[in-house]
Amino acid sequence: MAEFRKIEPDLSFIKGVMEAGGDTVNRCYQCATCSVICPLSTDESPFPRKEMLWAQWGMAPRIAGDADVWLCHQCGDCTAYCPRGARPGDVLGAIRANAIRYYAKPKAMADMMGNAGGVIGTVIASMFIVLIVAFFWSQYTGEAFPFPEGKVVYHKFLSVVPIDAMYLSLAAFVGLVSIKGIMDFWADVSKGSGMVSYTGTGPRPALGALLGKYLWPAIVEILSHARFKKCGQTLERARGHLWVLWAFLILFFVTNYVFIAADIFGMHTPMPQYHPVKILANIGAIMLIGGIWMIRTMRSQKTKEGVLKSSSQDWILIWLIFAVGITGIGSELFRLIGIKGLAYPTYVLHLGCVATLFLALPYSKFAHLLYRSTAYVYQLWDKDVRAGKAGFGLEKPVVPVTPEEG
Amino acid sequence: MSKKIGLYIHTGDGIGEALDIDKLVELATGGLGVDVVKTHNDLYSPEGAAMVKQDVESEELNAIVLAGVSPRYEYKEFSFPGVYTEKASLRELVAWSHKIPEDAEDKDAQKEHVQELAEDYIRMSVTKVQKAELPTPDKLEECNQKILVIGGGVTGLSAALEAAEAGHEVTIVEREPELGGFAAKLRKQIPVGPDYSNLVDPVVQDLISKVQSNNKIAVKTNTEVARIAGEPGEFRVSLKETGTKSEWDAPVPLTDEEKVDENGNELSAEDQKKIYDEKNEGRKEYTEVDPDAEIHGAVVLASGWKPYVPAEDEFQHLAWGNPNVVTNVQFEELATAGKITRPSDGKEVKSVAFILSPGGKDDDSDFPYASAVTSLVALKHAKYIREDQPEDGKAFIFYQHMRTPGQYEYFYKGLQDDPGIFLTKGAVTEVKPSDAGLTVNVENTILGEDISVDVDMVVLATGMVPTTRDEAVVNLAYRQGPAFRDLDLFGGYCDSNFICFPYETRRTGIYAAGDVRRGLTIEESMEDATGAALKAIQSLVAAQEGHAVHPRTWDFDYPDFYFQRCTQCKRCTEECPFGALDDDEKGTPKPNRTRCRRCGTCMGACPERIIGFKDYNIDIVGSMIKAIDVPDDDEEKLRMIVFACENDAYPSLDMAAARGAWWSPLVRIIPVRCLGSVNVSWIKDAMSSGIDGALLLGCRFGDDYQCHFVKGSELANRRMDNVAESLNSLGMEPERVKLAQIAIDEYDSVAKIINEFVDEIVAMGPNPFKGW
Repeated sequence: MAEFRKIEPDLSFIKGVMEAGGDTVNRCYQCATCSVICPLSTDESPFPRKEMLWAQWGMAPRIAGDADVWLCHQCGDCTAYCPRGARPGDVLGAIRANAIRYYAKPKAMADMMGNAGGVIGTVIASMFIVLIVAFFWSQYTGEAFPFPEGKVVYHKFLSVVPIDAMYLSLAAFVGLVSIKGIMDFWADVSKGSGMVSYTGTGPRPALGALLGKYLWPAIVEILSHARFKKCGQTLERARGHLWVLWAFLILFFVTNYVFIAADIFGMHTPMPQYHPVKILANIGAIMLIGGIWMIRTMRSQKTKEGVLKSSSQDWILIWLIFAVGITGIGSELFRLIGIKGLAYPTYVLHLGCVATLFLALPYSKFAHLLYRSTAYVYQLWDKDVRAGKAGFGLEKPVVPVTPEEG
Repeated sequence: MSKKIGLYIHTGDGIGEALDIDKLVELATGGLGVDVVKTHNDLYSPEGAAMVKQDVESEELNAIVLAGVSPRYEYKEFSFPGVYTEKASLRELVAWSHKIPEDAEDKDAQKEHVQELAEDYIRMSVTKVQKAELPTPDKLEECNQKILVIGGGVTGLSAALEAAEAGHEVTIVEREPELGGFAAKLRKQIPVGPDYSNLVDPVVQDLISKVQSNNKIAVKTNTEVARIAGEPGEFRVSLKETGTKSEWDAPVPLTDEEKVDENGNELSAEDQKKIYDEKNEGRKEYTEVDPDAEIHGAVVLASGWKPYVPAEDEFQHLAWGNPNVVTNVQFEELATAGKITRPSDGKEVKSVAFILSPGGKDDDSDFPYASAVTSLVALKHAKYIREDQPEDGKAFIFYQHMRTPGQYEYFYKGLQDDPGIFLTKGAVTEVKPSDAGLTVNVENTILGEDISVDVDMVVLATGMVPTTRDEAVVNLAYRQGPAFRDLDLFGGYCDSNFICFPYETRRTGIYAAGDVRRGLTIEESMEDATGAALKAIQSLVAAQEGHAVHPRTWDFDYPDFYFQRCTQCKRCTEECPFGALDDDEKGTPKPNRTRCRRCGTCMGACPERIIGFKDYNIDIVGSMIKAIDVPDDDEEKLRMIVFACENDAYPSLDMAAARGAWWSPLVRIIPVRCLGSVNVSWIKDAMSSGIDGALLLGCRFGDDYQCHFVKGSELANRRMDNVAESLNSLGMEPERVKLAQIAIDEYDSVAKIINEFVDEIVAMGPNPFKGW
């Protein structure tokens, strides 16, 4: 007697994928051209063919348990070669957009960050909070508000202490939400790939191994964009993306340097322009703007050519990053020129944009940073477990079983 | 009439090099007594044609033989009024198919063989010309132009409109009280034109109003055909009210089973008559003429289909019998009534499983009488659910074959885009009642596993049964009976030779269209109706001008019967594939000229050899055979004859020759209209004149026959048994006469078939009667 799997298609899932840019999902007739043409698909677990079928049949739990969704960089090769116009690349993009929302807690935040109005509102709200804090801060420092006397020096307006108070708590919140999302995602893909069956609770990498054996190689790969560069149809997009990634790394380093120097050693900003860190910061800012502009141009062109589809999610993130870069450079320039009336408002706008970008990390398309990186790590781990090379009591190869639906 | 004959030999195309033309000329002018013999190296050029024309006029020739290219090539320049034209194929049948290799050792001997072959073809052609007469068109005195359309559905309405548009009066006979057929009972229908991606509103109302406002079309609803007598151009149609009995109902002849007693012995004529009379009580003889019959020229049969209703014990594994398991026709009725609700409790239906193939794992065939239409209808019905329940309606289609041919692929694509329609190939193994409704188990699905779904209803994609499966419909008052013959070969669909002649039935002047012919959508039926209407009109033109219908449309000849010698054996009336012959009062065959397709099957059947055409008869072919020069003392020069069917075998020989095939120069090929026309006497003639073997090359017969006259090659094969017997009784090897089947595209093997036959005969040695 055959085992029959009960199928109850989740219609709202299919509609969700269709609305998020995957409206062509049902056209797939399983010829597998996509999986063959994909430069990133692996022999062990080819994609995106299976994801197309699961999405057609509304099998939401299966898609959630599938790390392969995140190994796709939406280069558009599959879409270009699909004989039936099912646009698998766009469908996977839509699935990822929905997954981000699925892992985001609370959902209301994801809903807010999911549309341009919500993002602009967030920027304005952040600016408002910054202004209130700055107002009270001016009561404490005795500086004039909103335009402190003398040359434009931002720390007279708002020094590191209130900024840290605001942004560190924001970062802590974002960090917690992100970790929760990553953990949930890890649990889902472990279950999805059948790892759960091994010990009953599921194998889990030890922290040291996780960091050294899996996370570090993943990061190295991400930093080189080795996979993104394999993408055929949108090769140029990888360059812009690499610039933006490195810009973020530089700016992350610079911010932390300033954080440590100012908070711990009492340094006062601004640093002089010849300071190596300042030079690095300026390079980072220019790379950010340049990189995001490349991405914008490329996406715009490829969208017009029909290689890929772009949703509002895509454009929101691009313009938000662009706004962060431009307002950052703007505040610096206005400060150097000494136009008070423009410098302080631009600075406040910059702070609002940065706060929004922080907040966007787990709630918007920005979250691909979290889940794709996690998927890279998971892929390495999963491979080792299957091969019996994972160590820590996992020396025998694991034969995954088909997971239960649910 | 004595002939003044001109023979023209084409010496181009390699004929001049292959043959000694002077010797051919000598033969013709000398032994054969041809009046004018000329050669030309480009006979078919304007100059060549002018040369012949001049001779015809100045020498008053009344017959010409063109010895050159195959008779299958038409040269209108050589048609002269009152002049009989015959074509001998020296190019294909001699020069091209008997090339002698440069390095052949016995070149001279081979050349001699080829020369003798050409000489025999000249002898045969001249002999034929001496005997043949020009046919004179035998026209109907009055050819009625009215067309009868049986069936008032989409097909019938379309056929009527097309015929009316072409200027013909039309009568539509519809059994139901209303026009429109099944197409008038639909909620929505499959598209009839671009962009094909979604359902459209039914088109039939538009056709009905067009028909009703057309003054050339008379509509008779609630009416059936009691009988159709007569022949194309003058069919006598008797009508009656639906469901009633009429004295003019067509009588049904006895079946083979009814003609024998329980022991299998044939009943006496009187007993048979008794059974026949009982069976047809109250019905007039088929020969009687209904004075009130309406005359029509041709008939379009568009009687359509009826739903396949599964028997009570059928499809038990699919829970047939459960009120929520319905056929597609029942589902359409539910949908037409309004929002679809469950038959068992009236609950709105949210999920439905459509099953296209009932056989489970063991048999992947679809339901009986299913077609592409049933696939398309399942898609359509899936959309009904989505229309009724746009939020959460789900339709599952489980198929082994999803057939959406041609433009309907766009229909499939359009519906596939709907998020609530789920499609997978798979074997449905079980449907069983569950708490919520029904559970459907499907194995081996595209999901890579065996799945089960819970649904409110299950729809079986049952098929469309052609009306001709169970009843005669046309009710012909023909000697061969009221119905089309052998429809069981086509599952009851009304057809005669699907690959070659769509619309054609085995009754001339009656053309089938729409779902009675095969499962068709409304769009396809409308197109089909156009085709059948045009065929009907064509048959009227043929009847009026006196030529045959397809496939011998150029043929104005008609078989002559020398009735004084008829023994009333009835072989011709029984064997005519088209039922052209009725009986008269005495039991002699009564020809119906316009039913005849000129295949000559009657001629082949007649043991008295009293049936023949003016240019194709027992004497002509017999004389051609006797004209072959048979050396009676040379074992190297055996002679075989090949009767090649003009429809497939002969063209394949031409093609083989054009492609450089070689076959033995010992065979002489005689084209025949159909193997059915080959009379056993020809084989006797051949054997008695010392010919060593005879091969019949004809079309495939049997269930997948390709015979252009349906039964000809099969009948020829049956007659071969008798031939074998007579050869045996003469002490000759029965293998000397053989029948081989060949299709037109098998030109690569036709030479091999001939050569193998020749080898067999050579191995047997000469005909023992040679030289007697």
